[in-house]
Amino acid sequence: MLLKSTFVPLFTAIPARGHPGKLSVSSVRNAVAQRCPPTSRQNGSSNTTSLLLLHKLPPTSAYIHLPFCRKRCHYCDFPIIALGSSSSNPGDDKDDPRILNYLETLCREIKATKLDSSNRPPLETVFFGGGTPSLVPPRLVSSVLDALSYKFGVCSNAEISMEMDPGTFGEGKLKELMNLGVNRVSLGVQAFQEELLKACGRAHGVREVYEAVKIVKSCGVENWSMDLISSLPHQNLSIWEQSLQLTIQAQPTHVSVYDLQVEQETKFGVLYSPGEFPLPSENQSAEFYRVASRMLRDAGYDHYEISSYCKSGYRCKHNSIYWKNKPFYAFGLGSASYVDGVRFSRPRRLKEYMDYVQNLENGLTNCSEDDIFDAKDLAMDVIMLSLRTADGLDLKSFKEAFGDSHILSICEVYRPHVESGHVICLDGQGRTIAVNEFLSSFSNEFWRNEKLAYLRLSDPDGFLLSNELISLAFSAMAP
Amino acid sequence: MSSLYRASKTVRSRRIPFNLFSDYYIPRKFDSTPYLNSYLCWTQCAFFGSHFREDPSIDLSQYPPDKIRNFSIIAHVDHGKSTLADRLLELTGTIRKGHGQPQYLDKLQVERERGITVKAQTATMFHQHNFLGTDTKFLLNLIDTPGHVDFNYEVSRSLAACQGVLLVVDAAQGVQAQTVANFYLAFEANLTIIPIINKIDQPTADPDRVKEQLKSIFDLDPNEALLTSAKTGQGLELVLPAVIERIPPPPGDSSSPLRMLLLDSYYDEYKGVICHVAVVDGALRKGEKISSAATGQSYEVLDVGIMHPELTQTGVLLTGQVGYVVSGMRSTKEARVGDTLYHTRSTVKPLPGFKPVKHMVFAGLYPADGSDFEALSHAIERLTCNDASVSVTKESSTALGLGSDVVSWACSIWMFSINGLNSKVHIQNPAMLPSNPKQRVTACWEPTVIATIIIPSEYVGSIITLCSERRGEQLEYSFIDSQRALMKYRLPLREIVVDFYNELKSITSGYASFDYEEADYQASDLVKLDILLNGQPVDAMATIVHRLKAQRVGRELVEKLKKFIDRQMFEITIQAAIGSKVIARETISAMRKNVLAKCYGGDVTRKRKLLEKQKEGKKRMKRVGSVDIPQEAFHELLKGS
Repeated sequence: MLLKSTFVPLFTAIPARGHPGKLSVSSVRNAVAQRCPPTSRQNGSSNTTSLLLLHKLPPTSAYIHLPFCRKRCHYCDFPIIALGSSSSNPGDDKDDPRILNYLETLCREIKATKLDSSNRPPLETVFFGGGTPSLVPPRLVSSVLDALSYKFGVCSNAEISMEMDPGTFGEGKLKELMNLGVNRVSLGVQAFQEELLKACGRAHGVREVYEAVKIVKSCGVENWSMDLISSLPHQNLSIWEQSLQLTIQAQPTHVSVYDLQVEQETKFGVLYSPGEFPLPSENQSAEFYRVASRMLRDAGYDHYEISSYCKSGYRCKHNSIYWKNKPFYAFGLGSASYVDGVRFSRPRRLKEYMDYVQNLENGLTNCSEDDIFDAKDLAMDVIMLSLRTADGLDLKSFKEAFGDSHILSICEVYRPHVESGHVICLDGQGRTIAVNEFLSSFSNEFWRNEKLAYLRLSDPDGFLLSNELISLAFSAMAP
Repeated sequence: MSSLYRASKTVRSRRIPFNLFSDYYIPRKFDSTPYLNSYLCWTQCAFFGSHFREDPSIDLSQYPPDKIRNFSIIAHVDHGKSTLADRLLELTGTIRKGHGQPQYLDKLQVERERGITVKAQTATMFHQHNFLGTDTKFLLNLIDTPGHVDFNYEVSRSLAACQGVLLVVDAAQGVQAQTVANFYLAFEANLTIIPIINKIDQPTADPDRVKEQLKSIFDLDPNEALLTSAKTGQGLELVLPAVIERIPPPPGDSSSPLRMLLLDSYYDEYKGVICHVAVVDGALRKGEKISSAATGQSYEVLDVGIMHPELTQTGVLLTGQVGYVVSGMRSTKEARVGDTLYHTRSTVKPLPGFKPVKHMVFAGLYPADGSDFEALSHAIERLTCNDASVSVTKESSTALGLGSDVVSWACSIWMFSINGLNSKVHIQNPAMLPSNPKQRVTACWEPTVIATIIIPSEYVGSIITLCSERRGEQLEYSFIDSQRALMKYRLPLREIVVDFYNELKSITSGYASFDYEEADYQASDLVKLDILLNGQPVDAMATIVHRLKAQRVGRELVEKLKKFIDRQMFEITIQAAIGSKVIARETISAMRKNVLAKCYGGDVTRKRKLLEKQKEGKKRMKRVGSVDIPQEAFHELLKGS
């Protein structure tokens, strides 16, 4: 798989300028850059960089927002641009000027991004999200990848994902995208029932779903995800089980199951209240979650994050960056980046976004060096993100960064939840520690240091109550 | 309840920086009509602005007791007491006519915000009158009384310094419950009573009917009643002459050593504690040393004067006169209302004084957030600094952590005889009742009140029903005229504390008038009703109820709690129990799901905020065992229990 105009920066040629005797951010950057892994193992990779410095590293991931959709789905509150039916024709050769203009601005944003000249590790993951990125002509996707390669470089084995909707691409288009380097497809199926697809305002039907799966497979995309939504209006257990069954039959390497979130500003928000008919009750949607967890696990999927499942070795590297609280770039309308410890969201309105890019080019925008660093905020981010994953909270690195006292208070608030099985303690080898051992020993610092390595939420009960459990951990951090 | 209302008003106006403080109060149980009037606020403005005026034209030595009259105005709410007081002050030139009443009202607002407690105030007036053939200048002290049912205690306090009262009755409404109550307070104090039938300008005025009522209920001579309209001024010229001619001068002895009665006190941020006093015997001069009979403490008189109506320095107060003293007391707690003050190193027999303040109503206060305890404590201290009738004890609840009780007018609500203890114990907090089964309660008593209810006769039936539901015992049932019935009931205090007055009003479309006085304890079959969450009793939710009502109350409390406690990670059982016997039970099933599906890069900040909000929400709740109880649950329980 060849990257078009691959540009690998000669980072080895740049002299390391670390300050002797002091672990500075720049020396860490160099250290990391030089061992830029040709094949990065995401699972349990030994992470020697302190959590306090992690976000200061130069990002090696980029999120690209391609906001175009044929129409807005009823549950969606993302910053999107609805094109109408005109662009639904995949064979249309004439590019929509709205898409052209946007992509031009997007590339300008990439180019105008300021970089620390001393260190430019190439990107290891790129994620095209939307919107419906598959509506963008491959030629324009290519211009974005070119801009990224020129600016940052892209590793030859980078994970390049794209969200694609059934009915927006054919074999030709997917082949073209693969030639550009796209090697992971996230297929927005959502449901396998015509009525449900209609009810949520999707622009495709069930027939397009099967066609899309066929195209993905025939093009030989090895790493692909099927995205589903649970707790849709009128969904019941047998419908949901059917969707899961059909998903398993399609044999994706990755499955994302998102529980419907009713957002205020959406059509669903106007029509429905969570837990009330026609939406499933709280008990029902909890049951959907359990069923998904059970069926997918039985089919050989690893439930590695609250809403993510994968076959062994197919974790989404890009999303894992988020959950490990690592830095990432973001470009495009309403997208959020995390660079130099600063989370920055771009304007959600097109006009304002255009102005933002203009200002960025004129050097008027400074979204990175806003150095208000708060260790507690960082710790809470780490807790929130890591407890979403099956790996859980790595207590060793957490303690190194934030101190043992927090771990003790988290253990204290989690005590009844360890007893009830919502929280699981693991040792250094990832083996479960018996509840009784935890209860009798957790107050002992030596035991905590020697034995207790990870805290994770159980699947599915702990994951289902993750908000409660995470906010409990927050209260232990900042009583 | 009444003083609670008062306290809460004060507290609210002080803008104490936590919501709970104002919210947590038991909602007021009686409609309140502020009885403060313009002249009152006039004096208060003066006090608080510390404009201590000097008026060289006032020579108190010209007013021996026979040229002094001390009187008060008593009336049912809205019968025109305030306007009458204003007119008398204008008539004597004490305040200028028509001058600034609205302005004073504005100031009243300000004063309220500063947290002045609603209290009795006095004003001194001078009036020329041809008395026994000679034109004589008299010194008249108008000692104001609250007209509202809630301030009964202060009425009797004010009356102790008077020799007579003006009993004001609305010419259209006639005698009402507080007219009756106030009449008896004055009557028992042997005061001269001058009936005034006011508002005779109203089209519905029926002075003859009122005269008949005065005769039949109070045995007052209808010919002695004055007919007035404070609004139009009609008949007002007769009021002060009647005061001078009918009310006896104060009885004190100017040659005896100084004895003065401490009527009231309040705190002024510039001058410190200011005491209102009535000089019974002897004379008081600035610079003298005085002592308190109650505490033995001595003070130097830093300033002395009269309220005219602002504080006006006179340097002296003579026998029979009423005024103020500044003596360097640090807190109103040192100024015991009803205390006798006398010259240090003299020996006097203390004055009878008043009955000590009897606490009747409690409010348990606690901060939502334990770390606010100091702030709460400080705020309460400031509140009580201004009001000697409020007392504070600190207590702690296993449910709520360290809390604080503002106790007002009241001390013990229940009395229990407990097996294993030799004496009866007073219980003010249900949680204080022992749970130890060896210390079994053998008998209980509860305080009662004697309630006077005056109603149009068609409502008699429904009132009898209401009172018997509230465990009332009828003591009297009579007609005060062809349309009005007067009923007296003995009711458990507990039964009128919650919602009685509101219900009375709604049953009678607002026509009922109501008053009560405290009465004895009576034996009663009381039980402690515990509320348990997952088997653990919640102190703050325990209550004492009559056995017959326990089942119903328990049921209601448990249902209410179920509504206000959200599903949590574990199943919650809510039980109401008497001892070990559970009488009501509800279950809140465990929360099944609380999860945010997606968490992309852009979501991190938003989700963090959401979860932090969730955390803060938990923080505002009270935790009992593993159960988080929202504040509203406590509020709701208190409302209806």
